[in-house]
Amino acid sequence: MPMNEHSPWGKKKKPGTPEDFLAALIQKIRDAFNEEKNEGPPPQKGEGPDPAHFLAGIGKIALIVLAIICFQIIYSSFYTIEPGEQGVVLRFGKYHRTTEPGLRFKLPYIEEMEKVDVKTVRKEEFGFRTRIPGQNSSFNKDGFDKESLMLTGDKNVIDVAWIVQYTVNDPVRFLFKVRNVRQEVRDNSETVIRRIVGNMDFDYVLGNRAVLAGMAKQELQQDLDKLESGVHLGTLQLLDITPTDAVKPAFNEVNEADQDMKRLVNEAEEYYNKVIPKARGAAKQIVEEAHGYAVQRINNAKGETTRFNAIVAEYLKAKDVTRRRMYLETMQEILPRVKRLYVMDNEEQPVLPFLNLSDDGQTRQTRGSASAETNEYRSPLNNRRIQ
Amino acid sequence: MKQAIQILTLVLVAVVIATVWDGFYILREDKQAVITQFGAPVGEPVTTAGLKLKVPFIQRIRYFEKRTLIWDGDPNQIATNDKTFIFMDNTARWRISNALLFLQAVGNEMSAQTLLDDIINGAVRDLVNQNDLIEIIRSSDWDKEYSFARSRDADMIKAPEKGRDKISALVLKQASQNTREYGIELIDVMFKRVNYIQSVREKVYSRMISERKRIAAEKRSRGEGRKAEILGKVERELKEITSEAKRQATEIRGEADAEATRLYGESYSRYADFYFFQKSLESYRNILGQNTSLILSPDSELLHYLESTEDR
Repeated sequence: MPMNEHSPWGKKKKPGTPEDFLAALIQKIRDAFNEEKNEGPPPQKGEGPDPAHFLAGIGKIALIVLAIICFQIIYSSFYTIEPGEQGVVLRFGKYHRTTEPGLRFKLPYIEEMEKVDVKTVRKEEFGFRTRIPGQNSSFNKDGFDKESLMLTGDKNVIDVAWIVQYTVNDPVRFLFKVRNVRQEVRDNSETVIRRIVGNMDFDYVLGNRAVLAGMAKQELQQDLDKLESGVHLGTLQLLDITPTDAVKPAFNEVNEADQDMKRLVNEAEEYYNKVIPKARGAAKQIVEEAHGYAVQRINNAKGETTRFNAIVAEYLKAKDVTRRRMYLETMQEILPRVKRLYVMDNEEQPVLPFLNLSDDGQTRQTRGSASAETNEYRSPLNNRRIQ
Repeated sequence: MKQAIQILTLVLVAVVIATVWDGFYILREDKQAVITQFGAPVGEPVTTAGLKLKVPFIQRIRYFEKRTLIWDGDPNQIATNDKTFIFMDNTARWRISNALLFLQAVGNEMSAQTLLDDIINGAVRDLVNQNDLIEIIRSSDWDKEYSFARSRDADMIKAPEKGRDKISALVLKQASQNTREYGIELIDVMFKRVNYIQSVREKVYSRMISERKRIAAEKRSRGEGRKAEILGKVERELKEITSEAKRQATEIRGEADAEATRLYGESYSRYADFYFFQKSLESYRNILGQNTSLILSPDSELLHYLESTEDR
């Protein structure tokens, strides 16, 4: 008893359980009754020491209880919310308020608090699992066929791996509307992706990843909102989209054929580019040569005719003299060069002697006037008279 | 008198203790409750959270989940209307809409899972059997812009009659009718995974492979065709270019020759005789060379003065 009067606060060893409390109370009541019986009921006394005793006893117990309660208040009614968390407080089980980061207070016994991480980005993987997360994460795709294989709109089979990242944006909904939010996210993700892939042909999926990802993200967010899951989708990221292993070689063959096709066309075009410009060049050259020839020819003609006209002009001034002069000059030039010169009068000689032309390498009989087969020339001056 | 007061106080205290002890219960936000009295349920289920009263000791509270729950069925082999066997892994969202009915008819969640297995799987099987495969794969918002319409099948190039989403809605409707009496509300049924069984998959792979091979062959032959086309073009253009050039050259030369001839003709024909004279002299110069033997007649004009000094 004296201990109580010193400090009603901060007691450590007290009967804090309700059973003990009840036992103490019953004991006090018994004591109160026993005291009363021993002393006998004095009906005249309005306030005796018994009620006072009784009340004092109750009072002491009450003080003990109060001390326990106060201690527990201090211990359990302060809590901290880290940055990135939020606290959801229920009063008598009913949602009362959401608390922000910091040191917070809640009523003991009456209020209950649950922390929710609202900042961490939660990730779900589909079609694979990260083996060793970290800087150089490696992926394990084996055994996740059930997650990654799906049917396309043209009844083909395709392999899709993707991830979904989300955060909690409504902690109350997150806690109290859906029991297993993580599983909800997974189920809905798979359903949405498969539904959209089911609308698209195989080749369309391979070539339009962005469309698929965009549509899936939008639809998934709508579904999750309808379910009141309290999460917000950060990203839906498609990873590998490939044909299954059994079919991959055939797909690679198509790519190779595509390469071949392009290669053949390139080769042909290369050949074209090699041959045609060269031919054009050659063609130009031919034409230029012709032009050259033309110019030359005409210039020659012009030159010669001018020369001729000049000579004629002079000739006309003294015709006869010029003719003879020219003739004699020519003869002067020719005759010294000639190998053999014969002067013969063909009318005086009835028989033409044999001309040995063997030193020319040919033996020929000649008769009559000059034969056309030999290197002989009849002077045309013989047969014509020049005016 | 004092005795009476004391007894009354005692009773009051007892009542207070009992009330504090077992007369309250807290219903959390995520739970709902059914009150049972001596084993039998009493009143309506309690669904709003908060501090609630009950009769101490006599009444018991049975708690049930108020949140949305997930049913996940085992994958099942089902045949479609066009005799294709598929594996379906379905899942559904449900909640306990009437905790009282639930308690009476089902009892607990484990039993509910089994019950839902039967109801939902049955509904799925019914509806999948009635529909072709393409109805399960494609949805009602299928658009041909997502398709290349390469197939020649008639059903591949038009939208499905119902579609995946409508069929799962029908499953929901059919199953819901059966779950109501159990106090269970089905929120949705989702065809989470649809895949071929192994043997069908093999066939589909063969088909895909042969389709790809066909495309590859087509590409290659197109390449060959294009190459031949270009080579042909090369030949043709080559011929065109050279023949055109030759034509032009010949024309030019011809024109030049004609012009030259014209010039010559113009000039020479005026003094034809003199021209022939001069030209002949030139020819003699060029023709009569080192190997020539020349025969002249004594009457030749060159030799005229050999015999006489008179003028000719």
